Amino acid sequence: MSVNEVKIKRAETAFELRGTGPDSSRTFVLGDEDHTLGNALRHVLINDARVDFAGYCVPHPSEPVVHVRVQTAQPANNSGDEAMAGGGEGLTAVEALKEACATLSGQCDLVLAKLEEAAPEVKEDRERMERLAEEDRMNEDEEEE
Amino acid sequence: MPQQRFPKVEILSIAPHHFSFVLSETDTSMANALRRIMIAEVPTLAVDLVEYAENSSVLNDEYIAHRLGLIPIRYTPEGSMKGGDCHQAFLPHRECVCYDRCPRCSVEFELDVNFDKANPGRPDQEKDLPLTVTSKDLISNNLLVAPAHFLNEEEQDESHDEGISIVKLGPGQHLKLKAIARMGISKEHAKWCPVAVATYRFWPIITINEEACSMLTLEQKQELVEACPDRILELDEITGNLQAVENAFEMATFTEDLKVAQDAMKKRPEDDDFVSVVHSSDRFVFSVESTGAMDAEDILLSALRVLKDRLNYLAAEVEKLKE
Repeated sequence: MSVNEVKIKRAETAFELRGTGPDSSRTFVLGDEDHTLGNALRHVLINDARVDFAGYCVPHPSEPVVHVRVQTAQPANNSGDEAMAGGGEGLTAVEALKEACATLSGQCDLVLAKLEEAAPEVKEDRERMERLAEEDRMNEDEEEE
Repeated sequence: MPQQRFPKVEILSIAPHHFSFVLSETDTSMANALRRIMIAEVPTLAVDLVEYAENSSVLNDEYIAHRLGLIPIRYTPEGSMKGGDCHQAFLPHRECVCYDRCPRCSVEFELDVNFDKANPGRPDQEKDLPLTVTSKDLISNNLLVAPAHFLNEEEQDESHDEGISIVKLGPGQHLKLKAIARMGISKEHAKWCPVAVATYRFWPIITINEEACSMLTLEQKQELVEACPDRILELDEITGNLQAVENAFEMATFTEDLKVAQDAMKKRPEDDDFVSVVHSSDRFVFSVESTGAMDAEDILLSALRVLKDRLNYLAAEVEKLKE
């Protein structure tokens, strides 16, 4: 590598979990992220009825770090059974985040599907590219044999 | 699953360099995430490293290197005619296993223009004028990759040059260099930005209060029609009622003048508005204009893919945590 190469600065941690106590509240520290993902996740989390509190912040604009805080609703009679949290009534914060990611990913797929519906040539192009990629892969396999 | 909304997409106009569509049944956070990704995180190719053999032109090395970096570079997948997504064809150079560079992570362009050698070939009336080195002189070592010289036919017809001008040479001047283009995202440097403009507006909801309007005279209604600089209202010829113009949503940008005019006409300040224009909270009119490196709808597709990859990565990290 040449001496003039520029190294891009990455955040210190790619992903970290903070928070002790019951499973229902956690702070997720996401590295190399910004408002793009933070705001989108927060919105999806807020729309989940089982989530009591969801918020995100960027602690300092010079650092590419996002904190997402999730607190889920705990049913009233769960105080003595902390060991069972997550299995029965309450939703753990980690599960809430996973579901939010899956929902947002699903929305992306929906937008893609609608776009292809509206512009059929986009779909044809994509299928053609996929077919060409398939053929390339098969040719490579044949050559190896 | 939390309450899901089902987004809808409606295409308004589609052209290789400009794409306009309406995204509805979704929230500002999703629209903003798409806009931010289109501007900052869609990978494209741009010149990153320049090796000089000879530069006796009037501009110094780093100036020319800066200009070369800003030239949009177009990757055309095989079998297609459009500028496409390059993320599958190339690796980010930091992740590539090669020592310095290889065809898998970079594309080399050669440029060799010598005024004294090129001048005899020019038409006589131009022989005394400086020779313009343009993006057409960049010769790529990868057949699928070339600079985007023009956005469309119109621009090509209007331009005096053959491509994007880099530097002008006079007699005795010679420029010889090798430019290496790599894949990157706009967060690192704006040269990798695939869009000139990626923006969205809120859909305007225009409600006309018929009851209140019936109390206005024709002159007052005409005044309201002329109050908006965008001309979103018109008077119906037969009935003389106020109504919204058909393509009002495209044009409505500034409605304060209308509000001020209405406040002046109201008998009491707390009366209802005759015409109210509010932003819709879940319908957005997107407008994406490409620089030429990728076709506009491919930028949107790439943005969706980048968003999905990020979410999958996050979900995987969360999974690892659980164990």
